[in-house]
Amino acid sequence: MTPDGNANRRDAVKQPGLWVLLLLTVLGVVGLVALMRTDSGPPARNTLPPSFDYDLSSLAKVDPKWIGYEPTAWFPVAMRVVRGVALGPDGLICVAGDRAIHVLEPDDGRLRRKIALDEAPRCLAADGDLFYVGFENHVAVVDLDGTVSAQWDSRGPDALLTSIAVSQDDVFVADAGTKCVLRYDKSGKMTATLARRDARRNVPALVIPSPYCDVAVGSDGLLRVVNPGRHRIEYFTRRGDYEAPLTWGQSGLAIERFCGCCNPVAIALLADNRVVTAEKGIPRVKVYSAEGRFECVVASPEQLTSTDTMTEETRTAHKLLAVDLAVDRQGRILVLDPAARGVRVFVKKKPHAADDSESGEVNDE
Amino acid sequence: MAENQRKIDRRKFVGDGLRIVGAVGIAGATGFWAGRRAEDDDNLWQIDPHQCVACGNCATHCVLDKSAVVCKHAYAMCGYCNLCTGYFEPDANELTTGAENQLCPTGAIRRTFIEDPYYEYAIDEPLCIGCGKCVKGCTAFGNGSLYLQIDQDRCMHCNECAIAIACPSEAIKRVPAGKPYLPKDQNGGPA
Repeated sequence: MTPDGNANRRDAVKQPGLWVLLLLTVLGVVGLVALMRTDSGPPARNTLPPSFDYDLSSLAKVDPKWIGYEPTAWFPVAMRVVRGVALGPDGLICVAGDRAIHVLEPDDGRLRRKIALDEAPRCLAADGDLFYVGFENHVAVVDLDGTVSAQWDSRGPDALLTSIAVSQDDVFVADAGTKCVLRYDKSGKMTATLARRDARRNVPALVIPSPYCDVAVGSDGLLRVVNPGRHRIEYFTRRGDYEAPLTWGQSGLAIERFCGCCNPVAIALLADNRVVTAEKGIPRVKVYSAEGRFECVVASPEQLTSTDTMTEETRTAHKLLAVDLAVDRQGRILVLDPAARGVRVFVKKKPHAADDSESGEVNDE
Repeated sequence: MAENQRKIDRRKFVGDGLRIVGAVGIAGATGFWAGRRAEDDDNLWQIDPHQCVACGNCATHCVLDKSAVVCKHAYAMCGYCNLCTGYFEPDANELTTGAENQLCPTGAIRRTFIEDPYYEYAIDEPLCIGCGKCVKGCTAFGNGSLYLQIDQDRCMHCNECAIAIACPSEAIKRVPAGKPYLPKDQNGGPA
């Protein structure tokens, strides 16, 4: 190598352009390494077809010919969580939820009064001017002014009271936690345990996978107990004898059956002991004859539309809330909608209107 | 003199070379560090089960052919139903383990008899593709004890999660690496 050649290379090192090039190279290396570290995944999706959506909406369709009731009123309730509805004195509509009972006018749903409670109620029944309020593990008796006249003994940490029914002499309380129905007298003394598995008396076990178990007393004096895991309405005498021949209900998606794992979640009785049922999953309200023959639909899933938003922290489906029912003296069916937080009022369609919808003909009357 | 300056000095040449290598090395290390910072190693992708709507996108939008999302089971919430709506097709012919009765497209749920009328359901995670059909059935009708989670051992930890983009309910979020899962029975239950 000649001295001249060495001198030229030395000049090149000293040229400022080379340092700029070096700087750019360094910046390039920094950028490249940073990019490689951060963008570690390809943006493309995989090759599987979008075929895994489980469409429940098609299962919720109800043939309009089965719908025998129509909505006539909507009474919103200013509560965060609504739990139960009952018919109070003078036809007042009473809703339990949050830590209160809201008493609504029967005609327009205006709030007549709020009764504050110390705890969150889970169920409600009315008897004259008194309310029997079921909390998680005990019952309180409250009057229309909000005065607590009695607090019954706690049923312990395993209890979960889900429904109360009042007869002439007794108060029946469904306990979904210990899977039985408790009979009390009106002073709060527990007098019997019903619907608990008893092979000697042929009493089947209540199967309650979700926290719903409803009870109702008919004008015949028999107690109706929902056995949701077996999709049945079971009948008991006041003494606790199981009336197996009267029991009815089948599981299935068909309109005359009860859908899902455990339904119905609520029942109410019409004046002639026909049974109004409410289901969860596919929320629908139906009427059955006293013997359990399907008669008609009161509210289809479309009429109990959820008001979910896409940004809600916990979705309604995860809150384990379900419809509750009551029937007033005019035979109106009151449906407490937990998603929309209010009472929907349904009345029976006039016969000619029902015929029209079935035949598609117009009645000029 | 000028001729002397042009002469290459071996010591200076080695020195310049070391300086250049050092500069490139420092730059590379800086880039590596910046990349790690941007990658956010302290957080991982996870599904908030209370926001999930089990739409099915987790199975089809993950960059992996077998999605990183799998079903988990909160046994404490389960009703142990005979007619499990997470296990059976709606209107199944029979309540048996026959494939035609099962909702899961890969048969990833095991059903075991406990006592009349109770059954236990367990997820065979290697078979699960995270489609969420069982989750939707369980949540709609039952207690919602089945729920989806991103399996951190399967997850590629992409900077931009493809299923988070496709999620219609924005249920996929960043969680601390120290708590990589959001078990449904331990993170705020139903109201």
